[in-house]
Amino acid sequence: MEELLEILEEINPDIDYETATALIDDKMLDSFSIVSLVTEISDAFDIEISPKYLIPENFNSVQAMMKMIETIQDEE
Amino acid sequence: MSITSVTFILFLLVTVILYYLIPGKYRWLVLLASSMFFYMMSGISNGIYILITALSTFGSAIFMQKITDSQKRYFKENKESLTREDKAIIKKKNTSKRKTLLILTLILNFGILCVFKYSHFALEQFNNAISLFGAQPIEDTMKFIIPLGISFYTFQSMGYLADVYWNKIPAEKNFLKLLLFVSFFPQITQGPISSFEQLGKELFEEHKFTYKNYSWGIQRMMWGFFKKMVIADTLSPWVYDVFENYSQYSGITTLIGAFMYSVLIYADFSGYMDIVCGFCEVLGIKLTENFDRPYFSKSIAEYWRRWHISLGVWFKSYIYYPIAVSGWNKKLGKFSQKKLGKTFGKTVPASVALVVVWLTTGLWHGASMAYVAWGGVNGLFIILSLWLEPVYDKCKSKLKIKESATWFRAFQTIRTFILVTFIKVLPEVGTLSEGFGLWKNIFTSRIIPDSWQTLLPFVDNIYDDKSIRTIGVVIFGTLLIFITSMIQRKQPIRQFLGKFPLIVKIAVFVALFFLIVYFGIPASGNAGGFMYAQF
Repeated sequence: MEELLEILEEINPDIDYETATALIDDKMLDSFSIVSLVTEISDAFDIEISPKYLIPENFNSVQAMMKMIETIQDEE
Repeated sequence: MSITSVTFILFLLVTVILYYLIPGKYRWLVLLASSMFFYMMSGISNGIYILITALSTFGSAIFMQKITDSQKRYFKENKESLTREDKAIIKKKNTSKRKTLLILTLILNFGILCVFKYSHFALEQFNNAISLFGAQPIEDTMKFIIPLGISFYTFQSMGYLADVYWNKIPAEKNFLKLLLFVSFFPQITQGPISSFEQLGKELFEEHKFTYKNYSWGIQRMMWGFFKKMVIADTLSPWVYDVFENYSQYSGITTLIGAFMYSVLIYADFSGYMDIVCGFCEVLGIKLTENFDRPYFSKSIAEYWRRWHISLGVWFKSYIYYPIAVSGWNKKLGKFSQKKLGKTFGKTVPASVALVVVWLTTGLWHGASMAYVAWGGVNGLFIILSLWLEPVYDKCKSKLKIKESATWFRAFQTIRTFILVTFIKVLPEVGTLSEGFGLWKNIFTSRIIPDSWQTLLPFVDNIYDDKSIRTIGVVIFGTLLIFITSMIQRKQPIRQFLGKFPLIVKIAVFVALFFLIVYFGIPASGNAGGFMYAQF
């Protein structure tokens, strides 16, 4: 979780990620941020994030992102 | 069958009556029958292409699903004996089979789309290329009638197939249900391009008749007819008169024509969406929204998130993300970070994907270099704003500009509207050089209007003594769109109207009805069909 928070802080330090639950729905993260985020997460967690995971529900909160990472790790 | 014709309204009425007359679980069959009837009215022979798309998409998705299901079963039955490596080998083999199915179906369907839409364009480019070497051009003898809604139903079907490939959704087992999803008549000519996950649920769920859905649906349809028939159809001949003869007009007249075009295309396209979304609301079906007050956007990127939303979502899901997060593009991003610095390098994968998205978006809108350039200019603005974001941030901080300040937001909105208007007109004049010619005419024309007639010469040409009243209706209609958009910032317009006494609501809709009858019906005779139907 801390590793993910560090990545997110680097992308946009002005957001309180620990409490945010609608990062995409409230337009705090846009599609450019998602692309950077996917690259960083893939490297940090050594996973391949396929386009099927790139849906708002997977990026609306840190918890949702962690859940997605765990799902991909289980699949791999 | 024109959507603003009496025949179409009667057709809708029959569909609604039949829909609510038969038991809930069979209601989707009425929609299928209506969709088939509507489609066949455009030409029976064209029906074959939509059937090929539906059949190939259905078959391919079912095969993919069978591969996935049998893999799941095999893993479950051999849970104890299979190692992680064994599973990886089986998964790889099955993914490859599924990918082959996906690619073959994509080639077939996009192939049909390309033959119909781009054959003339491809031959023209080929002839231009060989003429450079002195060769004789090949005569274009191809005669195609583009099947109704081919761009929309192909994109929607291929989106469904990609979702099944990615295991986002299971394949639909009932061919007739998939055929309805592909051919649903309210959205076949101009979208919205929906996902199966969203539209499928709406189409096959049992919907009960409610007075609220009925009244809200009718209200929205009337608002759509007003926008299309009163505003768009009145503006259409004026705007195209300016576009066709811009060199004879002053810069200010051409500029007014360009801004009127922005109003026209919004009234036309969003009017259509209001008509079909309103009709679906009467049936209890919620269609994907395609507009979110786009002219209030603060950047070109935001504008494209709020204009033709469903097309943007399609390109984002199936072109932008797959390219932006692909292995080779990520490697390119890392290489760029090393060579060009971290901040700029990070934008490279998104920029590469955006170039592809915008050139394809241009081609989707029309088979001409003017549309490719139009897509390119949109993409250029979006990529430049991505690259220059750190510079903007520094400037804003030095000038102490607050992003939330009202004046700054107004400045951003007006700037974006002006930019969007200039980009929009580029492919509408005809060829690319004529598009640039129109831009040039705005700034360099030496014609000076010395009277109302030379400033707005097209008005008298069309309506004679009615022109003043008609200008009044257009100004009133445009202001009404602006005011309703301001109200929509806080709440849906029909919710806002709901607070007023019944007599006020009735007066509003009686006024709309008379405006449609008095101004809309004659104007519709002078204008063509819906603008997005050509795509």
